[in-house]
Amino acid sequence: MENTVVKIENLVKRYGDLIALDHLDLEIKRGEVLGLLGPNGSGKTTTINCLLSLLAFNKGRIEIFGKEMSPVAYDIKKNIGIIMQNVAVFDELTVYENIDYFCGLYITDKAKRKQYVEEAIHFTGLEEFLKFYPKKLSGGLLRRLNIACGIAHKPELIILDEPTVAVDPQSRNKILEGIQQLNRDGATIIYTSHYMEEVEQICTRIAIMDKGRKIAEGTKDELKRMIKNTETITIEVIGLSDADRSVVAGLPHVYDTAYDGSKLTIYCSGGKHNLIRILGVLQERELSFGRVYTELPTLNDVFLEITGKALRDKEE
Amino acid sequence: MFLHNIKYELLTALRTKDLIFWLILFPILLGLFFKFAFDGIYEQVTQFSTIDTAVVDETDDTAFRSVIESVETQGKPLLNVVYTDREEAKKMLMDGDVKGIIYTGDELSLSVAENGIDQTTLKFFVEKYNLNSRIIKRTAEKDPAEAAKAAAVLSETADAVKEIPLTDGNTDNFIQYFYNLLAMVALFGSTVGLHISNVNQANLSAIGARKNCSPTPKSTGISAALMSSYIIETLCMILSVTYLRFVLGIDFGERLHLVYLSAAVSGTVGVSLGFCLGSLGSLNENAKTGISITLSLFLCFLSGLMVGNMKTIMAQKLPWFNKVNPAAVISDSFYCLNMYSDYERFTEKIITMLVMSAALALLGFFMTRRKKYASL
Repeated sequence: MENTVVKIENLVKRYGDLIALDHLDLEIKRGEVLGLLGPNGSGKTTTINCLLSLLAFNKGRIEIFGKEMSPVAYDIKKNIGIIMQNVAVFDELTVYENIDYFCGLYITDKAKRKQYVEEAIHFTGLEEFLKFYPKKLSGGLLRRLNIACGIAHKPELIILDEPTVAVDPQSRNKILEGIQQLNRDGATIIYTSHYMEEVEQICTRIAIMDKGRKIAEGTKDELKRMIKNTETITIEVIGLSDADRSVVAGLPHVYDTAYDGSKLTIYCSGGKHNLIRILGVLQERELSFGRVYTELPTLNDVFLEITGKALRDKEE
Repeated sequence: MFLHNIKYELLTALRTKDLIFWLILFPILLGLFFKFAFDGIYEQVTQFSTIDTAVVDETDDTAFRSVIESVETQGKPLLNVVYTDREEAKKMLMDGDVKGIIYTGDELSLSVAENGIDQTTLKFFVEKYNLNSRIIKRTAEKDPAEAAKAAAVLSETADAVKEIPLTDGNTDNFIQYFYNLLAMVALFGSTVGLHISNVNQANLSAIGARKNCSPTPKSTGISAALMSSYIIETLCMILSVTYLRFVLGIDFGERLHLVYLSAAVSGTVGVSLGFCLGSLGSLNENAKTGISITLSLFLCFLSGLMVGNMKTIMAQKLPWFNKVNPAAVISDSFYCLNMYSDYERFTEKIITMLVMSAALALLGFFMTRRKKYASL
């Protein structure tokens, strides 16, 4: 069995002068959950649309299941499930009818389709809403219906393009658990998001994108090891002089500090017991301190360090 | 897969509120409005009734009296005459018992109290009588022998101007509005047609994108959608004809089965027009629905839906336009069926509609055939 499910080589997509995808290379192995992480406009959805042969591209090659992908590659398409960023269901059909309709585009055998539809309903927990029309569903239920429509035919490759946008935390958790379950059941998954927590939670491998380029790739630990920061310590302290701050900055493994009059932030690179050493210095210099936080680097730190900007805006 | 698509396309269409409004409720309401607006007007305008007239015949004109007795139209006497004196005649006119007073003498003269169709008819009758009298008198003065011939010729001329019915159909001019109403329902089928493009093109809707990712070929999806749309539109057309004929009592003539056939074919024109419109550009469905409704109403306006003689005006100004305006072709098909006993014109209209429908559908297919999009 071919181990590489998706292979993207040197993909270039331009909109006039704007380069949406800039010589992108990507490979996804069977059984992986690959996270495509990046801010809005970084090229995640464009990559997915090219992958699905919806969007024409200027250069490059895409293979899925070892065959070149094209709009008429129906034998490839029948093994792909797609969950779009925008909910793609018919308002005029009930929950059951929607799932049955989209499943019917893949599965012609009626008995098999009925079984698959019922399994998808059970999987997404929509049993109580079978006769509901989409407009009567909450945002979370609607997203679950969207997922059910995309996975009912039991695809080998599932592509989820920001499936949790505008979803409440409870529904989001259910969706993420469901995706992990699909992966355990054998599906290879491509998951795009600009929510780093989600990507950290479910993805076995992550590709970080910015301005149409893949700027880093690896497991979350591999990615975090790529950057200088290994620990960020924040201490509430008042009356810190420049001399005190210089002493802290001079400690081993501390590579940067920041002080805003009430909070001292210390950035460390490597080393153990950094916190104990820093608190020891503050005590020696008879500085009283309040709450102390220590944080391990996040994917946002990775993105920040590589690109010099935050992964997502504050309001997101 | 094809039947699966048709099943759900039909279900979706039947539950679409916009479709129910534009294709079922709106025509019912407009038909009702037309019925109330035009019911009986035709009879009032075109059906002749005998005119009550007072005659003051102080010269005891026997020739005039014999003419009065012989003049009739649509099988009825033209005038219901009361011979009386001047005073009584004036009183009758003032009381509204008669429409006018005819005075005999060297020439007839007329007195009326108001304007109207009856008064105009009386005026025309008096002028015609005086003209013919002068011709006969002049002829008699020159050659008395010829006077009888002249009288006979004038009589024959009058007889020659006969109403010859071209058809057994409904000659009520106001039925044109109902033909155009049916044309409007047919063209409103464009809203169904443009939905086909919307849900089958990845650059127009998320559903279109999802369908394009499936292993069902686009041609299968679109063919099924077109088929179901034709079915839906045909049902709406049948419903409209049935409602107009059997609820409102509109007389479509003897060949009702062909009226239904024409309605069904005209429905396909609307659907194909919408499919073609929907395939143009990447405006959203609401915007395209607005355009399609506006276009349908505009074409129907040019065909005479709002102003009865608009089609005639178009025929004078742009003679070719009524041949390509689908609303005009559709309403003409009903007109031909009602007015002409032969099938030549009707067949021509049906063929025109089929060609239009096929051309628009093929154009739509051509425009939606693309497999990949430059942008989504």
